[in-house]
Parts: sequence; structure tokens; C-alpha cells
Amino acid sequence: MSSRPTEELPPAHSTSLELRAVLLVALLGLLIAGSIAYLMYARGVFEPSQRLVLLSDDAEGVAVGMDLTFAGFPIGRVSRIELAADGTTRILVDVPRKDAHWLRESSVFTLTRGLLGNTNLRAFSGVLDDPQLPADAERRVLVGDATAEIPRLVADARELVANLTKLTGEQSALAAALGNVQVATERLKGPRGALGVLLGNDADAQKLVAALERTNTLLARIDGLAAKADQQVFGADGLMPEARAAVVQLNAALLEARESLKKIDAILVDAQAIAGNARSATDDLASLRAEVDASLRKVSSMIDEVNRRWPFAKPSEIKLP
Amino acid sequence: MATAVPANNTIADLARSARDWLAGWWHIVLFSARLMVLAFSPSSYRGASRAAMARQMVDDTAPVLLWFTLLSALVSLVIIHIVVVTSVSYGLSRYALEMVVRVLVLELIPLTAAMFVALQVALPNAAEVAAVLPQDGGVHAGRRVQLLNTEILPRVLSGIFAVLLLAAVSCVVVAVLAYLWVHGFTAGGFAGYTRTFGRIFDPTVTLIFTLKTLGLALAVGLLPIASVLYDRPRVRERKSAELRGLVRLFFALLVIEVAALVANYL
Repeated sequence: MSSRPTEELPPAHSTSLELRAVLLVALLGLLIAGSIAYLMYARGVFEPSQRLVLLSDDAEGVAVGMDLTFAGFPIGRVSRIELAADGTTRILVDVPRKDAHWLRESSVFTLTRGLLGNTNLRAFSGVLDDPQLPADAERRVLVGDATAEIPRLVADARELVANLTKLTGEQSALAAALGNVQVATERLKGPRGALGVLLGNDADAQKLVAALERTNTLLARIDGLAAKADQQVFGADGLMPEARAAVVQLNAALLEARESLKKIDAILVDAQAIAGNARSATDDLASLRAEVDASLRKVSSMIDEVNRRWPFAKPSEIKLP
Repeated sequence: MATAVPANNTIADLARSARDWLAGWWHIVLFSARLMVLAFSPSSYRGASRAAMARQMVDDTAPVLLWFTLLSALVSLVIIHIVVVTSVSYGLSRYALEMVVRVLVLELIPLTAAMFVALQVALPNAAEVAAVLPQDGGVHAGRRVQLLNTEILPRVLSGIFAVLLLAAVSCVVVAVLAYLWVHGFTAGGFAGYTRTFGRIFDPTVTLIFTLKTLGLALAVGLLPIASVLYDRPRVRERKSAELRGLVRLFFALLVIEVAALVANYL
């Protein structure tokens, strides 16, 4: 670029230059103002929001500006992290009003740390019919740390591998069991087959076979015995037809017995009537006796009266012993 | 005794060099302060100074604006592609956009704009200033003020303005390109992108970014010209003075960039 002294510029050229310079300055001003406005919008300055306070024992990994997500969508932003007097951390989250309806009284908040050290704040609202979470509400946040599980997982895995090594070793019980299985399989293929495997030696297996043969003979004999018993019981002169005839005779005897019982019933009715008559006769006897007693008392009093009036009557005296 | 004298001379030379170096910086700081006062004075934007400033700004910025923007967009596209593909291959695609914005908008674009303006605008301007000044340095006070108003201040402000404008335009273009590259021609990802932007540019990062860009712009605008003016008595050739200004400028840019990185990430 060459030096151009200002004094040499004509006025018209100068005006045009000034206009272009103003345009450039306006462009810069516009870009800066637009960037500031966009950043303020992106930071949520123009958006009304409500405060949510999440309480945790440990806020490691939480950073200002971090998102609070619901179903994968960011609905809030961490605006501040404080340490309370009791040692708990207070994570202050700004939730825009338009998204606040996703948070309910029953909502659960989690703080999870991934394997790569990334931390996520999540909200879960199971019952969307619950009352909406009020502003400045305080909720405990559940902390789940994936990396905290790693040492335990590694220890478990090591133990598992050690057990597997022990199990699969040459001196292990599993190897011995597999050896035995192999021997058993070889014996299964032998002449005695499964019997040889079950009984352990050929002599016992032979005994078992002999016992089976004798059992078969015994069964044949029992079969013949059963045929004879069948003849005896169910044959033409067997036990069953005679039993049936005896039952018929027994039925007839029972009928006769029932008739006899009816007659006895009639006799009992007669006896009951005789007993009733005897009871009424007994009642009459009682009144008769009363009358006799009254008559005797009258006769006795009459005799006493006669004796008193009788001139020879002796005075009655009482002698004491 | 024979070796003691050269050793003493070496130490004395080193001390003198260090003193001269610090004195040079001190002169530059004083000159920069004077120019800033002049820049904030309304009288500097009247009459011949105003016309000179307008001409300088247009001549310095307009020719480089378009092709610097195109060049930075092209290079940024390559970087965006590399970052996105690498992130996807490692299963970290959700961090790709954030990384692109941090790497390009926060770090590379302002530094690239500053270095570009330094090489294309500021150093030639410094050479022009050196050419305008009389070789013997003997000018009377009135002429010195006139030179300051019509030749030096417009060039300094033009350099600062060029850095700011190029950085602003390129940042906006790269931000738009990053969105289009990741989400395509759809407005569906705008909310998430805006949220990512808001998360990156928290107040601290924004302040550091602003201060860094302003610092780079001031360094590019002031240092080459100030170096030409105040290193002249110690050098015999102009070329050497420009080279010295370039070294000072890159040293300052390095310090500003490192300071911004330390403030951002430590």
C-alpha cells in the first residue's frame, strides 16, 4: 500500500469514502450488537424462569451452565452452586416457565456420572397429573456414580476369574468329574452297557440278569395261579354265584322279619291302650279311697259320739308312764 | 585477567540490551496511551483527520474483508469436518458442536484475523509511517501533531478496526457454517445450538474472549507503528525496524493468547 496524503483527496471522493467507512463501522456495530443480543437470548436473559434448588452431598462434576434434562430435552440450566452451612451442596437451577410444567411434586432428580467423567442432571416425572412444582422448591438429588462401581466390579470379576481357574484346573473336582464321565461313557459302550455303569462290576450285573430271569419265571407261575383263582371265584360253581344266592335268601328273611316287626308294633299299641286304662283306674281308686277314709272318719266320730252319750261310758284318761 | 574483560563486556552488553528492550516497551506503552487518548478525543474525528481516517479504514479493511472471510470459511469447514468425523467415530458426537465453537470461534478466528491484519495491513502501514516521517527526525511541534492526527492515528485505528471487523464477520460466518454442517438446512436444531452457544459463552468466557480480541486488535494496531517510531534511533536500516516491530507484535500476540488460554482453561 502506498502513502496517500489526505490533502490530495477531492471532496466528492472523500464523501464517498466516509459513507463506506460508516457502512463498515455500522456493519461491525451490527455484528457486535447482534452477537450480544444472541448471547443474551442463548443465556436465557429474556426468558422468565423459576428457581429450583437441588440438594446433594456431593456436587462433583456439576458446573454452572450445565443442563437439567427431562426425557433428553434440556429444560433448565444450573445457575449457581453453593455450599450450605450443614455441608450439603445446593445446586440452583433456573427452569424457564414454559418448561416448568414438566416438573411435578413427585418428580425425582438424579445426578449421574458417566464412565468418561461426564455428569448429567436429569428429572423424572412419573405422574404428570400431580401438582406442579412451586418456585424455589428444594429437592434431594439422587447421586449415581458409574465410576464408583468399577472397583467393586473389577474385584468381583477377579474373584470370578479365580473361581473359574480353580474350577477348570487339572486337579479340580470338575476335571475329575469329567474324567469319570469319560470312563462311564466308555463303559456304556461295553457289553454290559448301563448296567455295568450302575453296578460297577460284571459279576453283580450277571447276578442282576439272573434275578431278572427268575423273576420272569415267578411271574409266569403267578399268572397260572391267578387263572386258577379266577376259576374258583368266578366259575360256574365258584364262590360268587353261591354268594349271590345267599344274598337272595337273606333278602327274603329280612322281609319276614319286617312283617314280624309290624305285628310287634300292633301288640305294643294294644299294650299302650291297656296301660292307659290301668292309669285311669288307679286314679279312680284314689278318689274311692278318699271317700272310704271320709266314711270311716265319720263312723269313727259317730262311735265316739255314741260312746260319750252312752251311760256306761268310762271317762277317758291318760296315763303317763 | 585477560578473560575477565570480555566477560564483563558481555554482561554489560546484555544489561544494556535488556535496558534498551524495556525502555523500548516503555516508550511504546506511553505512545499507545497517548494515541488512545487521542482516539477518544472528539476533535480527532473532524476535518482532515476524519477524511483520512475514513480513507484508511476503507482502504485497509474493504479489500481484505471478503477474501479473508472466504478463506477462513474454507479452512473452518475443513476443521469442522475433521472435528465432527472424529467425534462421531469415538461416539462423542454431542460434544462436536461445542468443540467446533470453542476451537474456532473462541481461539482460532480472532488469532488468525489478528495475524492476517498484522501482515496485510499493520506492517505496511508502519512502513508508510516510517516513509512519511523525515529521515533525520527533526520536525517542529505543529507538524508532529498534524502527522499524528492525519497519518498515524488513522492507521492505528484502521488496524484495530480491521481486526475487530474481520474477527466478527468470520466468527458469525463460522458459527453459521458449523450449524449448517452439523444440522443441515433445517431450523430444527436451532434451539439446541443456541443452548450450546449459551453454555459455552458464560460470563467469564465472554469477558475473556472480548478482552482477548480487543487486546489482539490493539496490539496489531499499535505495536508495528510504535515500534517503527521508537526503534528508529537504535537501528540503521528501516527494514530492521520493521522486523523488530514484527517480533514485538508476535511476542505480544503470543502473550495475549497464552493469557487467554490460561484464564479460560486453568
